Amino acid sequence: MKAKTQEELIYLNMTMKVPYKWRTGETMGEFFRELKENGIIYANQCPTCGRHFCLPKSVCTRDHTKCTERSKWIPVGPKGTLVTYFMAEQSFLLPTTGEMLKIPFAVGIVLLDGAAVILQHQLEETDTEKIKPFMRVEAVIKPKEERKGNIYDIVHFKTIHE
Amino acid sequence: MANRVAIVGIGQTTHSGRRPYVNDGELIYDAVTKALADADLSINDMESVMSGNMDLFEGHHLNDAMLNLYSGAAGKPGFKMNTGGTVGSMMAIQGWYHVASGLFDLVLVIGWEKHDEGLVTPAISTITDPAVDRPFLVGAIGGLATVSVAYMQRSGCKLEHAAMVRANASQAAARNPNAHMREIYSVEEVMNARMVMYPLNLLMCCPTSLGATALILASESKAKKICKKPVWMKDHVTVHVEYGGAQFGIGEKRWTSHMEAGAKLFKRNNITKPMVETQVFEMYDPMAFAIPMWLEDFLICEPNEGWKLVEKGALKLEGEYPVSPSGGVLCTNSIGDSAILRVAEAALQIRGDAGEHQVTREVKQALASGFGGSYWSDLLLLSKTKD
Ligand SMILES: [Zn+2]
Repeated sequence: MKAKTQEELIYLNMTMKVPYKWRTGETMGEFFRELKENGIIYANQCPTCGRHFCLPKSVCTRDHTKCTERSKWIPVGPKGTLVTYFMAEQSFLLPTTGEMLKIPFAVGIVLLDGAAVILQHQLEETDTEKIKPFMRVEAVIKPKEERKGNIYDIVHFKTIHE
Repeated sequence: MANRVAIVGIGQTTHSGRRPYVNDGELIYDAVTKALADADLSINDMESVMSGNMDLFEGHHLNDAMLNLYSGAAGKPGFKMNTGGTVGSMMAIQGWYHVASGLFDLVLVIGWEKHDEGLVTPAISTITDPAVDRPFLVGAIGGLATVSVAYMQRSGCKLEHAAMVRANASQAAARNPNAHMREIYSVEEVMNARMVMYPLNLLMCCPTSLGATALILASESKAKKICKKPVWMKDHVTVHVEYGGAQFGIGEKRWTSHMEAGAKLFKRNNITKPMVETQVFEMYDPMAFAIPMWLEDFLICEPNEGWKLVEKGALKLEGEYPVSPSGGVLCTNSIGDSAILRVAEAALQIRGDAGEHQVTREVKQALASGFGGSYWSDLLLLSKTKD
């Protein structure tokens, strides 16, 4: 049963390549526009519980109230506190690009100054000896001419010493 | 008031990393026929047959439609479930809803997955928002690594404790003929495994397995007539929470879906000492920090005490509070099957039918959990007696 011809009979190799075009929505669209045009990271606010969300949310998860009122948005960060992180030392296939993850790849859960919820983004530092929970970090934003209005306009978070 | 529901039939396939001569339907058929044989019933006795898995793992959308001849669902009412890691526990809970409603007397529920057919991590990464989170989530393992770092930070738990958990699990799985990874590892061997996603090394992550589990659920009147050892589904809780600072105690008191589930279930059932009033817990433990961290989160032990219980050996198969005596998800992880397998294994412990991995304490009540999606929890309480 282990012969090569048998193996070929019982396997069908197939790759599905499925293109998508996702909508970011009104709130995130506005967030990305501000990031692209002015290089500013904004948080919006839930009118019920008062929490500032960054990344902004259209609807508060807890109160189910709409929080899109633009005049209530405030700039947050770019400095913040690292809450926790992971560090990939093995590569995996990325579903959005079909490419392999470039390792080492560290991702931090960051609470930006002024925000009440966390966001996750890449860390510049990849030495686990040097990454400590609750250390201070700062978002590095691309120069204006390189910004495209997506999450990669933030390059990564760098460690800062205050 | 809901009608009482009992588990009257249990069937599981053997689990492995690869089973090239079996297709999806044949895998399901294997579990279904074992459950029917266990209950001494025929597929014609089943009023509803329902299955669950995660479609993207096998790249087969709406697979329940094509697989209905293998599952026995043809011509019968039912739902398909796809809730990530909680698929299996949701299948058991969904079966419970059907029978508890009084509309069904006998229901067959199936959880299955065949991870040798596709890639797990890229499929899991698609659960997040493509515009903001997806580039920074590396499957379930990335998220689980972040909560592990946070747990070590706040509790004092060390990598060595995670290695002890994995070494214990390997001892348990070696006694379970249906487990996938049955090799025995020492703490040192676990510590020396290749790092995959700091702080989780290869042995501290669950494997990718294939397998299926089927449960037959019956109403009280039916169970009394047909089953000598019914296991009663006494209660269950499902909790969904937002993924935000509360996970990590940022800006507010730490609160997770597991904490909410434990608080609700124990309050509703007047359980004040979970480690005494339940005698075994089959936990959905997808990585080695899960058992100590989540015993705390389910409010079964005090905060920062979980890893101390590991150190004492209390959670081993013959310990004072055995957790995942089957070897758990750490040794067998066919995702859509993983959480229903917890329910099945907990029920086997209550029946006294777990064989070589039967725990040494007498089991009157058992817990089983599911975990997955975007931090969702299921917690089930099973009992030998109906009240
Ligand atoms: Zn709110």
